[in-house]
Amino acid sequence: MAEVGEVTEGCRLPVLRRNQDNEDEWPLAEILSVKDISGRKLFYVHYIDFNKRLDEWVTHDRLDLKKIQFPKKEAKTPTKNGLPGSRPSSPEREVPASAPASGKTLPIPVQITLRFNLPKEREAVPGEPDQPLSSSSCVQPNHRTTKRKVEVVSPATPVPASTETTQASVFPQQNGSARRAVAAQPGRKRKSNCLGTDEDSQDSSDGIPSAPRMTGSLVSDRSHDDIITRMKNIECIELGRHRLKPWYFSPYPQELTTLPVLYLCEFCLKYVKSLKCLQRHLTKCDLRHPPGNEIYRKGTISFFEIDGRKNKSYSQNLCLLAKCFLDHKTLYYDTDPFLFYVMTEYDCKGFHIVGYFSKEKESTEDYNVACILTLPPYQRRGYGKLLIEFSYELSKVEGKTGTPEKPLSDLGLLSYRSYWSQTILEILMNLKSENGERPQITINEISEITSIKKEDVISTLQYLNLINYYKGQYILTLSEDIVDGHERAMLKRILRIDSKCLHFTPKDWSKRGKW
Amino acid sequence: MSKLSFRARALDAAKPLPIYRGKDMPDLNDCVSINRAVPQMPTGMEKEEESEHHLQRAISAQQVFREKKESMVIPVPEAESNVNYYNRLYKGEFKQPKQFIHIQPFNLDNEQPDYDMDSEDETLLNRLNRKMEIKPLQFEIMIDRLEKASSNQLVTLQEAKLLLNEDDYLIKAVYDYWVRKRKNCRGPSLIPQIKQEKRDGSTNNDPYVAFRRRTEKMQTRKNRKNDEASYEKMLKLRREFSRAITILEMIKRREKTKRELLHLTLEVVEKRYHLGDYGGEILNEVKLNRSDKEIITPATLHNGNHHKIQECKIKHPHHPSLKEEASDVRQKKKYPKKPKLESVITPQQPTTEPLPVISKSDIKQYDFHSSDEDDFPQIPSPVSEPEEENDPDGSCAFRRRVGCQYYAPRLDQTNYSCENSELAELDKLRHRHCLTTLTVPRRCIGFARRRIGRGGRVIMDRISTEHDPLLKQIDPEMLNSFSSSSQTVDFSSNFSRTNASNKHCENKLSLSEILSNIRSCRLQCFQPRLLNLQDSDSEECTSRKPGQTVNNKRVSAASVALLNTSKNGISVTGGITEEQFQTHQQQLVQMQRQQLAQLQQKQQSQHSSQQMHPKAQGTSTSDCMSKTLDSASAHFAASAVVSAPAPSRSEVTKEQNTTHNNINGVVQPSGTSKTLYSTNMALSSSPGISAVQLVRTVGHSTTNHLIPALCTSSPQTLPMNNSCLTNAVHLNNVSVVSPVNVHINTRTSAPSPTALKLATVAASMDRVPKVTPSSAISSITRENHEPERLGLNGIAETTVAMEVT
Repeated sequence: MAEVGEVTEGCRLPVLRRNQDNEDEWPLAEILSVKDISGRKLFYVHYIDFNKRLDEWVTHDRLDLKKIQFPKKEAKTPTKNGLPGSRPSSPEREVPASAPASGKTLPIPVQITLRFNLPKEREAVPGEPDQPLSSSSCVQPNHRTTKRKVEVVSPATPVPASTETTQASVFPQQNGSARRAVAAQPGRKRKSNCLGTDEDSQDSSDGIPSAPRMTGSLVSDRSHDDIITRMKNIECIELGRHRLKPWYFSPYPQELTTLPVLYLCEFCLKYVKSLKCLQRHLTKCDLRHPPGNEIYRKGTISFFEIDGRKNKSYSQNLCLLAKCFLDHKTLYYDTDPFLFYVMTEYDCKGFHIVGYFSKEKESTEDYNVACILTLPPYQRRGYGKLLIEFSYELSKVEGKTGTPEKPLSDLGLLSYRSYWSQTILEILMNLKSENGERPQITINEISEITSIKKEDVISTLQYLNLINYYKGQYILTLSEDIVDGHERAMLKRILRIDSKCLHFTPKDWSKRGKW
Repeated sequence: MSKLSFRARALDAAKPLPIYRGKDMPDLNDCVSINRAVPQMPTGMEKEEESEHHLQRAISAQQVFREKKESMVIPVPEAESNVNYYNRLYKGEFKQPKQFIHIQPFNLDNEQPDYDMDSEDETLLNRLNRKMEIKPLQFEIMIDRLEKASSNQLVTLQEAKLLLNEDDYLIKAVYDYWVRKRKNCRGPSLIPQIKQEKRDGSTNNDPYVAFRRRTEKMQTRKNRKNDEASYEKMLKLRREFSRAITILEMIKRREKTKRELLHLTLEVVEKRYHLGDYGGEILNEVKLNRSDKEIITPATLHNGNHHKIQECKIKHPHHPSLKEEASDVRQKKKYPKKPKLESVITPQQPTTEPLPVISKSDIKQYDFHSSDEDDFPQIPSPVSEPEEENDPDGSCAFRRRVGCQYYAPRLDQTNYSCENSELAELDKLRHRHCLTTLTVPRRCIGFARRRIGRGGRVIMDRISTEHDPLLKQIDPEMLNSFSSSSQTVDFSSNFSRTNASNKHCENKLSLSEILSNIRSCRLQCFQPRLLNLQDSDSEECTSRKPGQTVNNKRVSAASVALLNTSKNGISVTGGITEEQFQTHQQQLVQMQRQQLAQLQQKQQSQHSSQQMHPKAQGTSTSDCMSKTLDSASAHFAASAVVSAPAPSRSEVTKEQNTTHNNINGVVQPSGTSKTLYSTNMALSSSPGISAVQLVRTVGHSTTNHLIPALCTSSPQTLPMNNSCLTNAVHLNNVSVVSPVNVHINTRTSAPSPTALKLATVAASMDRVPKVTPSSAISSITRENHEPERLGLNGIAETTVAMEVT
């Protein structure tokens, strides 16, 4: 039984959590940060194998101190002790990598102090040489210049990279596969390198700052992930009628992160610190719809197209808001190469934002969606599927097939799979047999009709378990429960895109100079 | 049943797939698992996240139930949609337009301030509103400007005042509040902003920095090189444009400031005038009280010269040292050349200087530094030092002496209506116009007043009276008999006599009456003396010096005109000895004193209009002046020119070899107190100014004597000059008068605006500008009178002396 005072960053222990069925559970959680508010200690916990969006500040009475595991100094310990899957750059792995290189202090007020718990209590892992720690036990959490690519090729890396190579998964259909393969296992890589102090000093000495790729809107490689970005920084956002609880970090101005509520103008999405400011802002802001061209309207649903280059402030505000709910979204670069399609619902007050997706003006990887988000108040009501459907309608007008940018989030995967399934099944079930023969269709045809990229068609067919090999050829089998399930689902799907209501002419951005 | 091959062929996307439904479905147990043939597609998710409990639960639920189960959804943090004050916050309704909304991208940025007032600000506003009215938007604009003008460094109060066009008290209040608030502010700005990247790359890993520019590696697929090159060029272009914008902004701001300064100066002058603060005592007092900050004291206006100005305090903020240094240099240059009598300037200038020395570029340069929008640019262009090498005025250029004083205008001049005889007498004293005749051309020019300008040129200020036609008939011969007596009149006696004659002059009606007045010495008439008189005169002059210094007050109050000798215009040689000047000046003083009184009454109407507006602007005066010029001087000028070639009276000439002893003067009618204006205006209103040496009005304390002089020449006089060259050789006396500008005035009704401006500019300068007015003007004239250019040049070389009589 440990004392509360001993609970530090990197500790793992069961934490009380109430699930959606209102039952108490004690999932294992990792302490990411500790703060002291008027003598009361609060712990920021990440529930292992739960999405980060459920991370939260908890009081000490929710911690099960009897089962506490103190952080291991050794890099490989976490993978060995059967606790994989937590986010990379957990403090105990972070420490050795960053501490030696950075004697600098950062200008950011560090409310979060990461203290490395000197491993008195830690069980020594057999076979692992016990590496003594360097003197520095204090971590500047957001200072990490480590670039994973560098780590891999770095001859200075002293630790053999055995574990991560086996775990690195390759995504064959992605053209950035090498990078992704590397990126897919950031935590492990770091773990393996955690003692390589020279690696970091090399990084800082060569002075070349690492920067993410310039295309796309999502990061899967977490080289820029650190303890700051792992934690939600905004408590609450008020947007129109809604109060939203952000899920992830978003780089709103730092001075606003301490506010209990961040106020956003519902129409221009400007962020202000108080209700009074919002009131004042609304006297000056006469927007009642997203500041773009309406390209679709049916009923109360409209879509507005916004150019990320021409309307920077709105695009940035939108991205900041979206970042609160999209873990992998990156705001590293400007919004210039993107178009934003904002879906709104009209009422007498104006066109209220429901969700949006962004799209690269020119995608080298057939992406037709970069980021996609239904705002939490509108979730699970079919709007997400509507957004997806709209994105494919645009691709149909463009005469291209498309796919969403990867990585998908859990909700993204579910939504897309659902959309793909329903779309493909709709086609398969509507196929009529010609001259008595069995109806048939090629994957390419499905892809052309739906603008869904071929790979996504195949993966959906596989996921639905429709592809079978029979008598020397592949066949598609539509079982009863598949058909029933589809029909039931389609009954619930009321919101649909009407292509007749779309007024959209795709632009050839390659001929327009740069974006 | 065929034996299934163990290894299935790869899935071909182009190959049709037959669809089996329901009862048609073959027994799937016969089917070979295809898992090896069709590679499992990745989900597209991050591996780590894929294994999350909630997702796996949801996926399996979907696969089992073919639809979502409420309990199997992925939980997310809650959102509330019950903001109850929503309707109060978002007021009004928005009607959905029939048409699709189409937005013009450039309509988006209206000029609303980004700053939004908070409740703390509201408290301040309520407090301020007790004293003055300030609207929230106004306040927000102020804060917004302050914020946007400040980077790491907060703007100063001075800058804030420039930035904000508000009442000073309000600015101070808001500024102080803003500084306090800014200090307490945790963020870098009161307007919350996304952290910007820094160029040095130090922010590359700062999670709060977002939306970095994608400059380094632009995605350039085709013509990569080309794209990058043009991109670089565009960047450069943009930089240069923004620099141009900055410069223009700064110019705009400077000009505004200058206008402000002018108005303030005017105000100060006015206030001082009303307070009677002619010595500047009150001003000094005030200045001392707020000496904590360096204040730019109101610089002299061109019409504000009557006041004592502490030059040393007029510091140009940028070049205080430069300026003082410059004036030091000036003095060193100037004073050694003046022997004992400082008032007499005998320029040792080379007679001709190459014309191209002052070029148009000078003017342009000047124009750049002081824009055209400004009526009275007074800030000397800061970079004047190098250009002064080209200054055509050279050592003769005017430079105000440090610490020089100007004397107050006489208060009584405003009391014209007053019948008080004492005051009237005093008035008359000041207006020292006397009946003047010239030797060549031999005629009477009416009432005039003389001054000596730089280089000893004699300037005659003519005054028009109702008797002009009458006076014109006076033949100098008629006065010959008693002219000498009038000249030798002692000052004191003269004084009383003029007083006595005052009453007479009022009702002077006939020529004979005037003549008799002159004969009886009631009316003084000036005639140039023969040279043999000069010795005694010079003695007389020196002996009377104390008395003159007494007078000097008034003399300088009337403003001494300093003559800028121009290298290209008219060259003045030092052909006249100091004694001669001295003598002549002596005469002038006497004559004027006598005649002043008599003229006084006649001039009242004319003067009062001018004098009532001590700070009358150049333009208004110019109107007035051109009138007088037209009416009075034109006649004179014409006749002077006409009669010039006539054989002059033989004069004794000591310096016959000096062919260039021309001190050409223009006689200009003017009220004494208005000499300053009139001279300036005559200059500025005339395109022929090139000929006229620019007279810079100045109180020159070293000038002990009133020497009216105006050097002039013009294209028009050229033929005449040439023709009378031979005559002129013989003339060594102070010479008159080629009244060019009169000609020009009569000819061109509208003064050349550029010349006007430049002249006023020059006149209002504290220090010698890098382009001296005369040069500027002359070059302008050169442009204006291109055909006459040769003539002008000719004048420079063959300037002809004419004699004043």
